[in-house]
Amino acid sequence: MRPPSLDFAEFYREVKDDCLLAVVVSTGERDTAQDLVAEAFARAWASWPSVSRHPAPAAWVVRTALNAGVSRWRRRRREVAVPDLALIADRPAGGEAAGGCVDPGIMAALLRLPERQRQVVALRLFLDLDTERTARVLGIAPGTVQAHLGRAMASLRGELIPACQEENQA
Amino acid sequence: MNDDELITALRKQRGTVVMTTPVQQIISRGRTVRNRRRAPAAAGCLAAAAVVAFTVGVALPGSHPAARGPAASHPAGPTSVRLAAWTVTRQAGGNIKVSFRELADPAALQRTLRADGVPVSVTFTGRQNPACQPYSLPAGQSFWPYGPKPGPVSALGLGFRFTKPNLKNAYTTPPDELPALVISPSALPSGAGLEIFTLGNQGLQVMLVHVSPQCTGSSGS
Repeated sequence: MRPPSLDFAEFYREVKDDCLLAVVVSTGERDTAQDLVAEAFARAWASWPSVSRHPAPAAWVVRTALNAGVSRWRRRRREVAVPDLALIADRPAGGEAAGGCVDPGIMAALLRLPERQRQVVALRLFLDLDTERTARVLGIAPGTVQAHLGRAMASLRGELIPACQEENQA
Repeated sequence: MNDDELITALRKQRGTVVMTTPVQQIISRGRTVRNRRRAPAAAGCLAAAAVVAFTVGVALPGSHPAARGPAASHPAGPTSVRLAAWTVTRQAGGNIKVSFRELADPAALQRTLRADGVPVSVTFTGRQNPACQPYSLPAGQSFWPYGPKPGPVSALGLGFRFTKPNLKNAYTTPPDELPALVISPSALPSGAGLEIFTLGNQGLQVMLVHVSPQCTGSSGS
């Protein structure tokens, strides 16, 4: 558990990128994800005395961002388009919003997973949450988390192995 | 590629997506969020202080000075302050915003909206007004503001499933905003009005209807 005196700026610096990656993977919308995560961190700051005592404040931020995304989607559902994998996965590295180099193959494979599997992968692997905590954040049973993770890993293996083989042959 | 290699490859993505928003910007937005959360409590205190002289309906948090509520129908007693069930605000551009706290006082809401030029029937009985006849839009026109042509009604912060009388539910977000309808009277098709009603347990519904004295209190132009 984090100490109650955890400094918000320090917390933000430590986890902002992992939270953003988790939300990007979960929502499949990169620019939207940045807005959602910023809003979630702002709400975290507004409730910092309680959020800082949360057993997993980063998970709180991600959950809040995902909830905000659902709300936004409900408000605009008639105009939401299917995520364009090319826009997310093939964005040039080092772009202003990106700031880094995403492996387009891995990101595209992640984005082809069903939403719940993406959320489980994001929380388990990018935020390092354990199964129990991931289950609590997503409101599902721990066994369901494991099942989603297992299916996600199987799908990703199927997608990434051929890509690796192609790279090796080249 | 085994599981460990796969997990390693996935975790290598950490740090490749960078959150560029400065922390100062986050904190600035956080202050706005916090102040907005505090506003209802402050407004509640103000209303409590003024309750001897005034009824509560007009002292609503975030209300525009032009906002009106069903004040007359909700006189607050000296020991209990009840915020108005809804607030009607005329916005710039002629739009009318109805913010809901509770699905109550349909007759007062209907009077208020009609006085603002909206031909409307409002019922919160769980059934539609039998005098109202659905209005079919011509092809290419939209009721909600999402289609090829902006429609006369939009909903803010709600999925239209809040149940009477408690508005709290998963669809009302963000938590510090009230669910609201924004009506653009000028965008209503000729001869069309609105019916705002509750239907069973499905919460609030809005549909286009033909204007008539029995339904919307006015005759078609």
